[in-house]
Amino acid sequence: MDLAILGAGPGGYVAAIKAAQLGARVTLIEDQEVGGTCLNWGCIPTKTLLASTDLLAKAREMESFGLELQGSVTPDMTRIMERKNKVVSTQVKGIRSLLKAGGVILKDGRGVLTSPRDISVAGKDGSSYTVTADKVIIATGSRPAQIAAFPFDNRNIISSTGALELSAIPKSLLIVGAGAIGCEFACIYRELGSEVTLVEMAGRAVATEDQEISALLARELKKKKIRLLTDVRVEKVDVREDGVHAFLSDGQELAAEKVLVSIGRAFNSEDIGAEALGLARGGRGEIIVNERLETNVPGVYAVGDVTGGLLLAHVASRQGLVAAQNCMGAAIAMDYRVVPAAIFTHPEIASVGLRQHQAEERGLKTRIGRFQFRGLGKAHAMGEIAGFLKIIAEEQTDEILGAHIMGPHASDLIHEMAVAMQHGLTARDIAATIHVHPALAEGLLEAAEDVHGEAVHVLPASDR
Amino acid sequence: MNPDDLKYHKEHTWVRIAGKKGTIGITDYAQEALGDIVYIDLPEVDTAVEADSEISEIESTKATSAVITPLAGVIVKVNDDLAESPEVINEDPYGKGWIAVIELENPAEAEDLMDSSEYEKYIEEEAK
Repeated sequence: MDLAILGAGPGGYVAAIKAAQLGARVTLIEDQEVGGTCLNWGCIPTKTLLASTDLLAKAREMESFGLELQGSVTPDMTRIMERKNKVVSTQVKGIRSLLKAGGVILKDGRGVLTSPRDISVAGKDGSSYTVTADKVIIATGSRPAQIAAFPFDNRNIISSTGALELSAIPKSLLIVGAGAIGCEFACIYRELGSEVTLVEMAGRAVATEDQEISALLARELKKKKIRLLTDVRVEKVDVREDGVHAFLSDGQELAAEKVLVSIGRAFNSEDIGAEALGLARGGRGEIIVNERLETNVPGVYAVGDVTGGLLLAHVASRQGLVAAQNCMGAAIAMDYRVVPAAIFTHPEIASVGLRQHQAEERGLKTRIGRFQFRGLGKAHAMGEIAGFLKIIAEEQTDEILGAHIMGPHASDLIHEMAVAMQHGLTARDIAATIHVHPALAEGLLEAAEDVHGEAVHVLPASDR
Repeated sequence: MNPDDLKYHKEHTWVRIAGKKGTIGITDYAQEALGDIVYIDLPEVDTAVEADSEISEIESTKATSAVITPLAGVIVKVNDDLAESPEVINEDPYGKGWIAVIELENPAEAEDLMDSSEYEKYIEEEAK
């Protein structure tokens, strides 16, 4: 079996290694860098910057921890970016050696499908050749979407990629779109000292999350003096000598040194030969796949962002695993019931399963348990008491339908809920499990108890 | 002691009436129950508020708690000093710890609220 994979991001490279393990001869074609957006311009570099700004935030609180600082702590963008580049290149090397050890043939170049079996490659070294395979997986990913009225100029109007490559801290930053990416950069640049304004056309920040999460995020942004404007659009942007002027739909005019546009992602389904193959695509340009990740063209599969579903690296990787096995003769369907996701604001946000409004829309009867991080000794010891944990359980069966966390280490804590949901566990199952004291996960124990109004460390209702 | 010139709401807020204006804060009992206050989400000036509705939220080291306005009206002034020093509410709940001033829709509605002795009885009951 010869398998060709277009794109070496978290979908493509994982599929490549898996298929090779199953005995395929795999050619992986990548025109930028292995690891894709996630590793090079997304998840990993933002978390690296965030590690610098988190430490900076902690350093600013040193005195309250009983530590005296001789001198001051100031961010140095050059070195912060150097560290980020080093972290990324270490990971890139890691993937390259994994691919090599797995026997995957990596081709650095741009591939275009000329038939369901043939990919014409323009190599980075100037070569051109054709890769022929029995089956093909398309994993070409996505890129930052831009606004036609003010496209990226990569100087004053930048994308998330540009925001990861700034050589100086902007005095002021206007962020268009208060989704996950916009809110993460808002926290990073605010901590570095920028004046930050978020402009969101929906009624709330992180509008796909539970409403209580959006409400708390709005307050945490306010505490950081990040301005959040909702229900408003940026209609026009003028680049002038003194910076960028943005004109909003409510008549306001805002000035900023730079504008970061983070309104979503566009799918990389153009210029890959989709037309020649007759690949079915949806209205947003996404490649349409079935639950086995097959496209409408026999033998051609697609995974990851380009399929337009949940734009998450960990979903792409799982799709890569499933597609690789299906290419090798299996018939596995993707299961999207339990997909945990995190937003790395400060504090972090994490969620899995249904939001409360989704449960209500589906007519489900629920019981909801909540607990505040400020009720935990560990949170006080760490000096991070903001946030809460919320568990939504089905009224009759007590099965956990969803969980929402905003607070320290939310992105790690959510997995207890993901495992519980994957196995149909109930709030009482969580409550019956002894949790370490003192640990942040005690908050999940308390929230699970609170589903039945039985939490021990909760004040009576009138004081909450 | 709870001042005699104030009116009290069962959600542990007070109002001081002066003509058409009412100044609002939380009671000594409330600040004691909350413990060390670390943040207050102040309301915005010009917001119209209903009686018995939430106008603000207070975060302490042990709880978060809604501030309920005893009376309806429009918020005309907020205590911006609390943004930087929310602990003032603990130190002086009836004085420097005031939260907002409301242009009252109907000052006469204050008659339905508790006076200081009624409020003291009320919190004794609550404590039981």
